[in-house]
Amino acid sequence: MEIFNALMHGFALAITPANLLWCLVGCALGTAVGVLPGIGPAVAVAMLLPITGKVDVTASMIFFSGIYYGAMYGGSTTSILLNTPGETASMVTAMEGNKMAKSGRAGAALATAAIGSFVAGTIATVIVTLFAPFVADFAVKLGPPEYFLLMLLAFTTVSAVLGKSTLRGMTALFIGLAAGCIGLDQISGQGRYTGGIPELLDGIEIVLVAVGLFAVAEVLYAVLYEGKVVEGQNKLSRVHMTARDWKRSIPAWLRGTAIGTPFGCIPAGGTEIPTFLSYATEKKLAKDSDAKAEFGTSGAIEGVAGPEAANNATVTAALIPLLTLGIPTSNTTAILLGAFQNYGIQPGPQLFTTSAALVWALIASLYIGNVMLLVLNLPMVGLWVKLLKIPKPQLYAGILIFATVGAYGMRQSAFDLVLLYVIGVLGVVMRRYDFPTAPVVVGMILGPLAEAQLRNAMSIGEGSATVFFQRPMSIVLVIIVLAVMILPRVAKRMSERRAAAAAAA
Amino acid sequence: MSNIDSLPHSPPALWPQTLVGAGVLVTGLALAFGAIGISSEAGYGGVGPNFLPWLVSIALTICGGWILWESRTGGFREMDEPSGASKAYWAGFIWVSAGLLLNAALITSIGFILSCTLCYLLAVQGLRRASGQGGVNTPRTWIIDLVTGLLIAAPVFWTFTKFLAINLPGLTATGWI
Repeated sequence: MEIFNALMHGFALAITPANLLWCLVGCALGTAVGVLPGIGPAVAVAMLLPITGKVDVTASMIFFSGIYYGAMYGGSTTSILLNTPGETASMVTAMEGNKMAKSGRAGAALATAAIGSFVAGTIATVIVTLFAPFVADFAVKLGPPEYFLLMLLAFTTVSAVLGKSTLRGMTALFIGLAAGCIGLDQISGQGRYTGGIPELLDGIEIVLVAVGLFAVAEVLYAVLYEGKVVEGQNKLSRVHMTARDWKRSIPAWLRGTAIGTPFGCIPAGGTEIPTFLSYATEKKLAKDSDAKAEFGTSGAIEGVAGPEAANNATVTAALIPLLTLGIPTSNTTAILLGAFQNYGIQPGPQLFTTSAALVWALIASLYIGNVMLLVLNLPMVGLWVKLLKIPKPQLYAGILIFATVGAYGMRQSAFDLVLLYVIGVLGVVMRRYDFPTAPVVVGMILGPLAEAQLRNAMSIGEGSATVFFQRPMSIVLVIIVLAVMILPRVAKRMSERRAAAAAAA
Repeated sequence: MSNIDSLPHSPPALWPQTLVGAGVLVTGLALAFGAIGISSEAGYGGVGPNFLPWLVSIALTICGGWILWESRTGGFREMDEPSGASKAYWAGFIWVSAGLLLNAALITSIGFILSCTLCYLLAVQGLRRASGQGGVNTPRTWIIDLVTGLLIAAPVFWTFTKFLAINLPGLTATGWI
């Protein structure tokens, strides 16, 4: 009942005309950046971070989550209609969605993606509503050692487990941690790695790193390597689902939601695993021979419905670790954390008591945003598809103008624009040589927080690291971190050995 | 999926990978050099402000060395084939770089709108050339791009300065250009 009342207060705050407008603009902008190749939600939120200096915190957080959310809807449109998969989250949707579109069923694929996103997003929001306060209550009991270990877990999963090469993931993470070190040490106030440049005393803005790595690097990469790539586009058919499509989609949506939600809740991040798992599940469960034959040939609707739902459920549930523990698990949530920090707010268990109005308005806006997005993406999908007609040279050059707003608007420093370029070049090298970028952003944002927790924990232990093994919760976390590092390797080694044995036999 | 497959691909040369490894190694060493000057004043905890810098520099040096070793022994392991062409189009890169760096150099003196229009104009030239479009150098294309750049930069400037009160530099104090 308490939760219900709090949520109602949230709705009262979220449905003021101004906040509704922010939500609508955020959802529309999010859908647009999701549809457009070249920019995603992380960079869109990063470019707009300077507004935190002027816009009220509730309005801007509603706006940013609209972008975060909307991009997931928009992303599926591109992955179904264009013959190149966009971001990893929509890669699985692209596999079946593209095949459906090629056999003239683009409309049904778009419909099941949008409705599935709505169903999963709404169910996951209900779960956020019900569970986030409990997680916050529990998290209050955690001390610096546990927090440090939770952050260590996030670092481990984002760098060593997700992505292909642990070595390159770890390198990216340490580059992010190094970038986070630049500036004044928050405990002793001592300058680190400033090189006598006064601009660096304040540290490097996350906007610069995100916009540089994602937007500028994308443009530079496109001009260097992708100028001649021609993308085919599938024809849009009427957005409509038959009774049989509904019958096949509904269970897939629900299964996708059930798979995606837990993955969002744990501070481990990434939509790759849940979407692939959902796809594999749907493929295995396909009963009648028709559906079975459609997988990988003419495109099975379950293969779009399940992963799309899993994707949205993961993304929504990822707000639980962000809001209750202050731990971001993806690029976009890391930048949302940066937005909170710009207001002097540190997400964590206290957020539900100190900024209750803000949190509940944000959660209420997720319900509203989901409905808005369904309307924006079903009847109006034809409008968004027109965005795909913008020629690439003009689109990418235009992105640079917005990148300038984000980078310059934050600190009014031309030096930052030079830094933006340097980070962009670094991003090109990282992309060309298959270094993941999420560890850089997560490392940079979470690094200083983890360092502070580590130093506090060590102070509690009076300089002894045994403090990490003295409390039951911290021991559990140490074991989880070790398991996350070791188990995937053991599993891989075993499957390799089995394959070798099978080949020998 | 795309027509990338039809582009010619040759086995990647390994020297750029060596360069990447060396870059990481040098970054690690440079960070270690910087860490020498950071105080180790640790207080009660035994972990001072120089702890993380040392950890990061040692880890990056090891990673750099490892990457270097991988690049000399058959190339990066478990690496995806990078998307796009196998050869870089450097002329386009120079156009876009010129746009970005001139923007950084000029934004405070000629204002956001003109500086960003120039950045757009140069970047779009590079991107057009990269895609192999004909007639890139005609006055007509330049004028169209100039007008398009202005049509993007000016409304962006007004929206962000007037509605969102973000400080962006103008050429004049009127707030319109």
